[in-house]
Amino acid sequence: MLAVSAGDALVWAVWVIAAFSCLGAGVAVVSFANPFYSALALIGNLASLAVMYLLLNAEFVAAAQVLVYAGAVVVMFLFVIAYVGPRREPPWSGGPSWQTVGAVGAAGALLVEIVVAVGLQATGSLAHDGRVGAAFGTPAWVGRVFLVDHLLAFEITSIVLLVAAVGGVILGSHTRRLDAAAAQPARREPQRGVEAVR
Amino acid sequence: MLGPGVAWYVAVAACLFGVGALGVLVRRNPLIVLLSLELMLNGGNLALIALSRHWHNGAGQIFALAVMAVAASEVCVGLGLVVALNRRRLSLDVDTLSELRG
Amino acid sequence: MSGTAMTAGAWLCLLAPLAATVLIALVGTRIPRVAAGWLSTLSTFVAFGGAVWAFLGVHSQHRIAHGCLLSTTSCTDRGELTTAWTWLQAGSFHVGLQLLVDPLSSVMMLIVSGVSALIILYSIGYMDGDDEERRYFAYMSFFVFSMLLLVEGGNLLMLLIGWGLVGLSSYLLIGFWHERPSAVAAAKKAFVMNAFGDATMALAFFVLIAHTHSLAFATDFGVHLSPAAQNLVALGLLGGAVAKSAQIPLQTWLPDAMEGPTPVSALIHAATMVTAGVYLIARAHPLFEQARTVELVAAGTGALTLLVTGLIALVQTDIKRVIAYSTMSQIGYMFLGAGMGAYASGIFHLLTHAFFKALLFMAAGLAIHAVAAEQDIRKLRGVGRLMPYTKWCFLAGALALVGIPPFSGFFSKDSIIASAAALGTWYGWVLWVCGVTGAFLTGLYTFRLWFLVFPGEPSPFVREHFHRHHGREGALTMLVPVGVLAVLATGGGWLQWSAGWHPLTDWLEPAAQTLAVAAPTNTQEYFTSAATVLAGVAGIAVAWAVYAERRLPIPAAPAWRRLLEQKFYFDALYDRLFYAPAAALAASLRREFEEPVVLQTGTDIGDTTLETGGVVRRLQTGLLRTYVLLLAAGAAVVVLAFLIAR
Repeated sequence: MLAVSAGDALVWAVWVIAAFSCLGAGVAVVSFANPFYSALALIGNLASLAVMYLLLNAEFVAAAQVLVYAGAVVVMFLFVIAYVGPRREPPWSGGPSWQTVGAVGAAGALLVEIVVAVGLQATGSLAHDGRVGAAFGTPAWVGRVFLVDHLLAFEITSIVLLVAAVGGVILGSHTRRLDAAAAQPARREPQRGVEAVR
Repeated sequence: MLGPGVAWYVAVAACLFGVGALGVLVRRNPLIVLLSLELMLNGGNLALIALSRHWHNGAGQIFALAVMAVAASEVCVGLGLVVALNRRRLSLDVDTLSELRG
Repeated sequence: MSGTAMTAGAWLCLLAPLAATVLIALVGTRIPRVAAGWLSTLSTFVAFGGAVWAFLGVHSQHRIAHGCLLSTTSCTDRGELTTAWTWLQAGSFHVGLQLLVDPLSSVMMLIVSGVSALIILYSIGYMDGDDEERRYFAYMSFFVFSMLLLVEGGNLLMLLIGWGLVGLSSYLLIGFWHERPSAVAAAKKAFVMNAFGDATMALAFFVLIAHTHSLAFATDFGVHLSPAAQNLVALGLLGGAVAKSAQIPLQTWLPDAMEGPTPVSALIHAATMVTAGVYLIARAHPLFEQARTVELVAAGTGALTLLVTGLIALVQTDIKRVIAYSTMSQIGYMFLGAGMGAYASGIFHLLTHAFFKALLFMAAGLAIHAVAAEQDIRKLRGVGRLMPYTKWCFLAGALALVGIPPFSGFFSKDSIIASAAALGTWYGWVLWVCGVTGAFLTGLYTFRLWFLVFPGEPSPFVREHFHRHHGREGALTMLVPVGVLAVLATGGGWLQWSAGWHPLTDWLEPAAQTLAVAAPTNTQEYFTSAATVLAGVAGIAVAWAVYAERRLPIPAAPAWRRLLEQKFYFDALYDRLFYAPAAALAASLRREFEEPVVLQTGTDIGDTTLETGGVVRRLQTGLLRTYVLLLAAGAAVVVLAFLIAR
């Protein structure tokens, strides 16, 4: 530990900050009652992840992460949260039923198992230090690997995106009649509420 | 490799995955469930990238990109569902949305 | 040339009735009912034409090789064996779809198709108006086809197939009026008892196959088996013959078979099917000759049957049942003849019996039909006054049955009884005495029937119910066949007079040569004829005295009368011996096993499934979080398993 170089120490420091902020943001996502705050916390999570990707020589992926996730996915979330309106739902509401106990147990078990698995291999196959070339992780390199070695994955991914787009459109439309039908009884309710207030 | 060994990265990914799983299991608002789902996917991505770096195999990064694309699609559809639910004035609580029983 | 005639004639004869059956079955209700009848009749006449064709073919070939008696070549394979295709093949065991056209089968073909044609023509009038006429004619044609297959079969398997199919046709036709429980019960009884015979025949065939790996006539009849095996085979075949021909001890089904329509009784249970046993003995005579004891047992069975059934016929009050018992008695004569080795005599009696027995049944049918389907002879008294044509035809048949010269029965019956005298041993003389006594009984019961029914003043019942059919005693289609058969019954006997003129014996010689030990001398013939005719006339005289003139009273003897009325208690015995235990076993199985175990298991399986379903259904909460929890927990378990395995 004492023989670490300055570069190494810098990397360590960056890693520690990124890791902690990642996990902290993750906990925040899960804990906030207001979904709007959860979405914002997710942005923090994504940013720290991007930093960690950079530390791992995955520049293209880091950039894609920021663009796609933070730039598109989270924006979609925010739109929908705004459309849906304010809903507060405290995280542990409903009391510690068997559902929550079981949830904690299952999640904890998974976590412990993975850590143990990793730890067992830490001195084994995960021990050696890999050296990578300079081109590793660059967009050109990723592009070539994507389109040459894993072309099928590329095509399938594009089909999945197409399907999702179509699905999103369909789910979002065709409900005008139901909207109108649903809107009518709803219109009466606020009046009742107004009368009750009076 | 400078900095922490790959085991540390994978450990962080595992924790992230666990937190996301906890969120999916405990929260009742479907939007937050989806967000937690994103956490889990990100945890998986981190593990993939880390091990790809460790074993100098590009497939990990490719896989991570594909996961990202799939996550985006799934979020798109899921949010579409939430919007549709909202339009029909149904309550946004996964515990009450239990009509699709076996 | 003659070869093709034989083959073509045989196939035409066999397939014409089958075509009629299939056609009627396929066309169904689209044709009028009477059309089915005419179709069936015409097909049977075509079959008769084919039989004549085949006969002529055999005849020309026979004439060519008539001198074979003097040559060293064998006469026994005088016949054409025609194969359609090889049907069954298992290793070295081949069975083909074969027909045999030889003297014996051509004679049988003529008898079967000729008499069937007349009876089916008669049926058109008899069954007129019945709702299910088409089904009837389809069954009748099917029967004709089956019987022809039996007699034309070129190997033992084809014979067995025909055997089984005639049993099936008999079942279908006895139970034709299936709304009557008595008819259905009679059909089942006939079928089950015949099945017993089928089983013994099959066992005999198994023994043959085990020894010869073949069911071909030539192979099987030429083989020499150990005495035990020979006896087994002969006994098995005899069992089948006894069942099919309603001889003791398997005779109880035939009287009950009178539940079927009268033409059915005439065709199946008089002229053709029940004579199949005699045909079998004649066809398989080499096998029987090697087991001579069994053959003589067959003769004894015939003798016993002719006496017992003749006695039972004396107390029957149903006109058809009298004739049915008479049938069994006459087949007893045929068995007697064939069992002794006089095959030609047996077949000759088969021929004449077909004529006069069918005549008797059909004439009785005319009377029954005219008097509102009444069959009790006590009510039918005097019907002859109103139906003279029927009366005279019936009389011709009755005289032929008793064996009064010059009617046909005289010629055929006497040669059989004379063969018993030719046998010489004490057994032969016993059989001779049985035969002559049988002649007396035949005269007695036949003319009891005639005197009670036909002459005299019509009874009130007859007066009330008699009706004419368009001014005649019956439809033309009924009257013509009866007339034709009356002529045949009267004159058909002139075909053979064993003492001097015997074309039939000569004809059958290549196929079924009469044993020398059973060939009577002229003296024995004349002596036997005299004795038989005297016995018959005595029987007629007694019947006249008791039933017509009322000079002698009917003897009281209540115990004997009860014995006869109960048919020698055969039915009661079989009921106690076979039916009651089987019924008890079936009932107890149902009570102990089927209901508690089988049905309950079914119900239990259903209940358990429902219960399990109910329990499992509780997993389907519909809550997303539960499902995901289960997923996560499952994943945790799986990963743990992997870790442990590593």
